Amino acid sequence: MEKNFIIAGFGGQGVLLAGEVLATAFMLAGKHVTWYPSYGAEMRGGTVNCEVVAGDEEVSAVNKLDTDFIVALNQASFDKFMKKIKKGGIMIANSSLVKELKTRTDMNYIFAPITKLAEELGNIKMANILALGIVAKASKMISLEHLIDALDRVLPPHRKNLLPLNIKALKIGYEYDLLPV
Amino acid sequence: MATQVFKIPDSFKKDAKYSFCPGCDHGVAVRLVGEVLDELGVRENTILAASIGCSVTIYDFLNIDAIEAPHGRAMAEATGVKRARPDKFVFTYQGDGDFASIGLAESLNAALRGENISAICINNTTYGMTGGQLGPTTLVGQVTTTSPTGRNVEYYGYPIKIAEHIALCDGTAFSARVSLDTVANIKKAKQAIKKAFEVQIKGLGLGFVEILSTCPTNWKMTPEQAHERVRNEMMKTFVPGIYKDVTSAV
Amino acid sequence: MTQCMTDKKVLTKGNYAIAQAAILAGCECYFGYPITPQSEIGEYMSGKMQELNRGYVSAESELAAINMVIGACSTGAKAMTSSSSCAVSLMQEGLSYATSDQLPVVLVSVMRGGPGLGNIYPSQGDYFQSTKGGGNGDYKLIVLAPSTVQECVDLTYKAFYLAHKYRNPTVLLADGLLGQMMEPVEFKEYPYPEIDNSIWALTGAKGRDGRVIRSYAPLAEDQCVFLEKLYQKYKTIEENETEWEEIGTEDADVILVSFGSTSRNVKTAVKMCREKGIKAGLLRPITLYPFPNNRLKELAKKAKKFIVVEVNMGQMVNDVKLAVNGEVPVELIHKPVGAPPAPEEILEKIEELL
Repeated sequence: MEKNFIIAGFGGQGVLLAGEVLATAFMLAGKHVTWYPSYGAEMRGGTVNCEVVAGDEEVSAVNKLDTDFIVALNQASFDKFMKKIKKGGIMIANSSLVKELKTRTDMNYIFAPITKLAEELGNIKMANILALGIVAKASKMISLEHLIDALDRVLPPHRKNLLPLNIKALKIGYEYDLLPV
Repeated sequence: MATQVFKIPDSFKKDAKYSFCPGCDHGVAVRLVGEVLDELGVRENTILAASIGCSVTIYDFLNIDAIEAPHGRAMAEATGVKRARPDKFVFTYQGDGDFASIGLAESLNAALRGENISAICINNTTYGMTGGQLGPTTLVGQVTTTSPTGRNVEYYGYPIKIAEHIALCDGTAFSARVSLDTVANIKKAKQAIKKAFEVQIKGLGLGFVEILSTCPTNWKMTPEQAHERVRNEMMKTFVPGIYKDVTSAV
Repeated sequence: MTQCMTDKKVLTKGNYAIAQAAILAGCECYFGYPITPQSEIGEYMSGKMQELNRGYVSAESELAAINMVIGACSTGAKAMTSSSSCAVSLMQEGLSYATSDQLPVVLVSVMRGGPGLGNIYPSQGDYFQSTKGGGNGDYKLIVLAPSTVQECVDLTYKAFYLAHKYRNPTVLLADGLLGQMMEPVEFKEYPYPEIDNSIWALTGAKGRDGRVIRSYAPLAEDQCVFLEKLYQKYKTIEENETEWEEIGTEDADVILVSFGSTSRNVKTAVKMCREKGIKAGLLRPITLYPFPNNRLKELAKKAKKFIVVEVNMGQMVNDVKLAVNGEVPVELIHKPVGAPPAPEEILEKIEELL
């Protein structure tokens, strides 16, 4: 079954990298997967996002009409993508920067203070990876182990020293209490 | 015992037939190129990027490998040849229109990159093959088929001083302007061509020679009148000389 | 379910995949000028080629870049450039010359919106530019159209092989979507034999007379002979190298025809059709030139309708019409520019057309 994820936020919040880690994890889990970024004029100002599609068969459309899981790291992304969530889909929103407003009732919300949790961990830049931990837990589609393997592959050599902190961030996200679901 | 004082260069085709107009300096220039290839012993290692215009027929005379570039693109093609085969001797032979008008971007950029190639540019102040139109080197006041009342700068702008421009590029190893109007100047021209070829062989960068040449047909002059024009008119704007020589500074 | 083998796979962007495949294919020289959405190819090449002591020039223009490729190819070297749409327009003169010179130029064309500057979003608007040519005279470019990042790799290999085998410029025609997306790929070894080019390449005339690679044919009769020979070559290419993929065409009433990234979505739309009881099939040309004319002609005997899906105002649809030659109606589903229409949208339009 094909599922798709959109990870969106400000430029600099590492959404493209988070998407790459997620896509790599799916690859390592033996899934077919695609990663497609917003690029060009779309990237100026508003939000940056990428879409990851994973499934058991060759991925068809890499850029879909609606979405199973959306991670919104900032308000603009939350507003922009709310209407793209499928019925029964999940919006994972960064409540540190997003107002907890539930305008739709045919879908699920997870509000987690992602930025705040990353700050508490000691590095605000870990917010993107922390969010992936929540994605893993909420989607039940990818294991923490595959995400850790993926991080190891995706982090460039000069960022490898941050691997332990990234893994910590993943785990904090994964272990975050997802009561609202 | 008879001594041979004159022969066709070894780098020439044995069956080549002279195809330039009577009095055109291309013939002399091509011959000098052939002699220098002989003297440097590089014929069997040479690849020429030929151009469009009267200059294109050089490959009918020289018995060397050649690629015929689109108009203005000889320096780009020579760059490609050299980057693929750095051990080959690579040169272009172009007219002023090819080198300095339609191909100015390619020429200047090859010089700026310091491409290890050599370039010969024939400056005859007109587009010769198409019948004598205004070109990038047409002199101020000169009448051509597209400047029927003469080149006035308010209307047509100024001619380009090619050797000086190429000399300004940091990647240029040698840049000179020569003429073929006297035996003494022909000898100087040959020395310049040799220098422009040698800097490439030494790996010093671009070697460039601008050759002031006649076009009696389009100038509507006899060969003698044409050479007088080179001396009396062209040399005033296009002053012969060596504009850059990195080997002389050492 | 097809399991995606992971041990040899890497998640790679289409543009990087193309660049790395070119390196593995033995590309000796890269010349290019940046343009979105393919700039990553030149960026990747600039580092790798220098590392490998191969040729790389950040060219002053696409005009210069294509001519540098011509120069390098004239020595028999494997050489390439990459560009996009409005900038590929600048290369048309060079491509025309290279067909006449019979040189193995490889061009990677990553399509964006047009005409003019257009925009940087995915598009298939350069089907005509690639298959019909914007250069002068009678010529053909071999055109390969990948639909996945893996095919970006495999068809880059093939582009170098076919270019050298037939001494004809060859285009890998991707688009912004393929260039920018990532997908797991495996970089297998270059699978093709090396082509002996010693009989024509410029090597310096050691121990032989000089060779001239030229397109100038001053005598009309020479040009007649040359063009007839050139088109004999194209006939051979058409007979041997036409490649396409078919899904569910055996019993199909309606045949969808689509290439490149768009065909991924059409594949899903065809499945959806089948689930709804519509007997649909897909023919995906992998070579746009040579075009699978004969196969389309055969299918036209059984199918009731052809529907072409492309992201442009309708270009390949003309070739499909020519191929089926009035036997069956040929319809068009199109989107002017951007990511391909979603499978659901395609399905809806198919239902409207039936």
